[in-house]
Amino acid sequence: MAVGRTAGVPAVRRRAPSWGRARRREAGTALLFLLPLFILVVGLIIYPFYRAIWLSLTDKLVGYPERFVGLRNYAYLIADDTFHEVVKNSLVFTVASVALKVVTGLAMALVLDNLVRGRNFFRGLFLLPWITSTVIIALTWRWMFDAFPGRGFFNSVLLDMGLLNRPIAFMATPAGAMAAVVVANWWRAFPFFGVSFLAGMQSIPRELYEAASVDGASAGRRFWHITLPGLKHVIIVTTLLSFILTINDFNIIYVMTRGGPGTATQVFATYSYEVAFNQLRWGRGVTISIFAVPLLVIGIALISRYLLRGSR
Amino acid sequence: MLHRHVTRRKLLAGALGTSALLALPRPAAPAVKKGTSLRMWILKTYVEPTNKAIEASAARWGAKHGASVTVEYFTFEDMQTKYVAAIENKSTPDVAQLETGAPARFAGMGQLLDLTSFAKQIEGEVGKPPANVAPVTVIDGKTYAIPWYVMAAFWYVWRDVFDKAKVKLPTTFEEAKQAAQALNRPKDNFYGMGQSWNRTADGYGVMQSLMYSYGAGWAGKDGKYKSIKTPQMQQVMKWATDIYKDGIQPPDCLTWTGSGNNENFIAKNIAQTSNGPSITFALENALTKATDAKEKKTREEALANSVALPHPAGPDGRRMWAIAMSMGIFKNSKDPEAAMSLIAHLLSPEETLAVMKDSYGQFAPVLDKARAASKDYFNKNENYRNFGRAAEWFVGTGWPGPVTAAAAEVQATNVLTDAPAKVIVDKWSVDQAIDWEDKKIKDVYDTLRG
Amino acid sequence: MRRPVALLTGAGLVLFLLVILVPFWWIASMSFKTYEQIQFAVSIYVPKPFTWENYVGLWTETRFPLWLRNSLVTALVVTATTTVVASLGGYAVARLRFPGRESVASLILILYLVPPALLFIPLYRVLAELGATNHLSALFLAYPTFTVPFCTWLLIGFFKALPDELEEAALIDGASRATAFLRVLLPLAAPGLVASAIFAFTLSWNEFLYALVFIQDEKSITVPVGLNLLIYGDVFHWGQLMAASVITTIPVVALYVFIHRWMVEGLVAGSVKG
Repeated sequence: MAVGRTAGVPAVRRRAPSWGRARRREAGTALLFLLPLFILVVGLIIYPFYRAIWLSLTDKLVGYPERFVGLRNYAYLIADDTFHEVVKNSLVFTVASVALKVVTGLAMALVLDNLVRGRNFFRGLFLLPWITSTVIIALTWRWMFDAFPGRGFFNSVLLDMGLLNRPIAFMATPAGAMAAVVVANWWRAFPFFGVSFLAGMQSIPRELYEAASVDGASAGRRFWHITLPGLKHVIIVTTLLSFILTINDFNIIYVMTRGGPGTATQVFATYSYEVAFNQLRWGRGVTISIFAVPLLVIGIALISRYLLRGSR
Repeated sequence: MLHRHVTRRKLLAGALGTSALLALPRPAAPAVKKGTSLRMWILKTYVEPTNKAIEASAARWGAKHGASVTVEYFTFEDMQTKYVAAIENKSTPDVAQLETGAPARFAGMGQLLDLTSFAKQIEGEVGKPPANVAPVTVIDGKTYAIPWYVMAAFWYVWRDVFDKAKVKLPTTFEEAKQAAQALNRPKDNFYGMGQSWNRTADGYGVMQSLMYSYGAGWAGKDGKYKSIKTPQMQQVMKWATDIYKDGIQPPDCLTWTGSGNNENFIAKNIAQTSNGPSITFALENALTKATDAKEKKTREEALANSVALPHPAGPDGRRMWAIAMSMGIFKNSKDPEAAMSLIAHLLSPEETLAVMKDSYGQFAPVLDKARAASKDYFNKNENYRNFGRAAEWFVGTGWPGPVTAAAAEVQATNVLTDAPAKVIVDKWSVDQAIDWEDKKIKDVYDTLRG
Repeated sequence: MRRPVALLTGAGLVLFLLVILVPFWWIASMSFKTYEQIQFAVSIYVPKPFTWENYVGLWTETRFPLWLRNSLVTALVVTATTTVVASLGGYAVARLRFPGRESVASLILILYLVPPALLFIPLYRVLAELGATNHLSALFLAYPTFTVPFCTWLLIGFFKALPDELEEAALIDGASRATAFLRVLLPLAAPGLVASAIFAFTLSWNEFLYALVFIQDEKSITVPVGLNLLIYGDVFHWGQLMAASVITTIPVVALYVFIHRWMVEGLVAGSVKG
């Protein structure tokens, strides 16, 4: 999840080749350098994407040849109550995790920014969840919330402190299970938000803060009127990226709950996998994931706009 | 070819293809060419000695014929993905161990070799399967797999808990529920039952046992869709959801994984649960690992007190869904004759017995002669005697109809366990849940091919 | 720093430390307990007695060493191909002028956002047609679909931030583009390349869905899929699973300790400037 450099107006730092042949040669070199990328992208991303669309218009069942059925899969899903729940769950999961990530990311950035010593050390330490495998994170949090006392951290602690008589089955209710997967997703990613926001904070000119203090602004007002606006770009770009990546997340939910209890945490990716590999219906399975594409497109359009705007 | 002077056999072969040739009655065991190499897929069970025993048995066949067998494993978790991948990739094994719904599904896709006459040969050598097991492997009158063994479920109870509270050991689902209510002691973290409606065999398997024992099925005897909006299904759904009321089960029961009920039973958190012999296996293992006399005594008592009762009966009878393992041959196999020879070898009473001896009771042979040969092994104690009877109570997916691809898919959609979950978690009414389940099942039958 | 701010910062620091470190400790602690200790909830917080049996069992009884090897091989191969493809492509976009240059740059980021959850089914078929499924080569082909866009994007930022006078000089002296790229730019861009390589390695090492779907052969299973498989049937080897989690996390953490500086720079490369 990089918040990379803007791809906007190129910085013209050297004299452009002033005659056509040199320019063509440069373009030719560019083509050569881009060729591997191009082959990879067309062969393994664009072509499968096109085939995904095609597959969604068929009734492909494993073991049988596919037949074209038009929009039947789409119609089925639109009318399917389980799919409605999948859409709802995906949105709840994504919005909740991203919101938490933004808030705690800000908090983390503030804490790190205020550190006089050891900032790099702690920044590095805090990034540990981000580099850990999501499968391991999912297993870890599944155990943290476990109701079996020897395994569940929260239950063990609460039972030992005498605050509970019986273990709580955190993940046995729809709300609880959703909260659990949100927590796992949030825990994994908020350090990244924190580090990005920290970098953003550190590029806000100090003079602005000094001027504000001289004017008698409190810490809170300085945060609201200087820090936040200064971070606006980072926050938006990071949030959009995270939104897009989270709504298609598979690992965390698959490993933690398999979409359960019932269908309470079933999201696009896990439902697609289940329909494709348990029910053997590939046409329908692909269609499920395709429904997330409009959201993807909107997100991408927004990001591009912000990145272009930010390049000035 | 018609103008040549050919034997009837060659004529048929030419006209109908190799499978027809193989379908004619054969006078002797299939011949195996030296140097043949076969691939075989086997379920990897948690009892590692059994896996090794099967490998050893296959190796013996290899040694006898100068051939080799590569054994590859699939687990409960990945069996669908693995077979799906192999079918789409055209990389299916020669010999495949198939669970209850698989022969119907794969035969429907035209992936399996017709083994009707081979089955007759096996019948002669090892005996017939009981009538209730046949629907798994016989599809549209043809046999596509040979049943080997059943991995059954039993009703595990802690006998000492029952004795202490003077509650009778349950023989029906209704009795089990009442016993759970009587034995429940939530203050001590002890619950009367642990039945999770999860997406494992412990969930959808028990739901089917429940349904079939109450006479509720979603297919008719002809295998076609039949509505489940019946009084029997009402009773089924009521039982399934009543056990989640009144706190007679641990609060996280619904979210257990396959091992959840094992662990809770072994930790003596619950009085009853449905499970395969793996609980006995775990307890026997714990006994061998005991380090001091005191621990040894505890473990021995645990073993003695954990009773595996026959699965409960319902008003319509005692029917138990289980994993019926049968052996099939994929059409892509380059050497079907060698494959058949391997299967005949594995299924022979001597070899089956050899494997079974390392199975800690989870492996109940299905064919007559093998069953007879295993009687002594299962005579160890009461639990084992019940283990050995598994084939008696077995019914396949889609009862009372045959096992069909549609029935297998209904099981795979998880609708059987999602429906009670909707009542328990989303607070739907029983009627709502049954209507919803019925609609989903009908949809599977309406949109299935082949 | 004024007192209330200092207190808040200190409290915040402690809180974040707890939030981040407690789950790691919980897993590590459980990895040193026996099956019975976990099953019977004995010595919950600090394992007593402390045992290495899960690590030993994991190494000798399961195929974990094989999974580690597969994950490592995959990560290394993918990192190598990614670095080559991404640096070539990144250079072209950052330094060369050609029509459509800006669109290419945005397109690259967009490609990273195409979800594996959408591609896994058709990609599976494409790979099957290439005969690449069921062994690691499926991953060698599939993983670059997300590592390359990401790393290219990253490197574009890095390259753009480097001064181009040296390359200019080399070009004026008659060097070819390729030489300018290899001899002049790459050495300068070393931190960026390292960051990019680390990212590619990490993304590869941790990937799950493709490895789950594309490979069934036992001999080619990677660690995340293997962990998932450690749950077989009715018995869940908790301690071993925890031990596996610990072992799997260590290499990445180790790598990271040495290079986190560069990695963080990479994350915010070319920056989040507004």
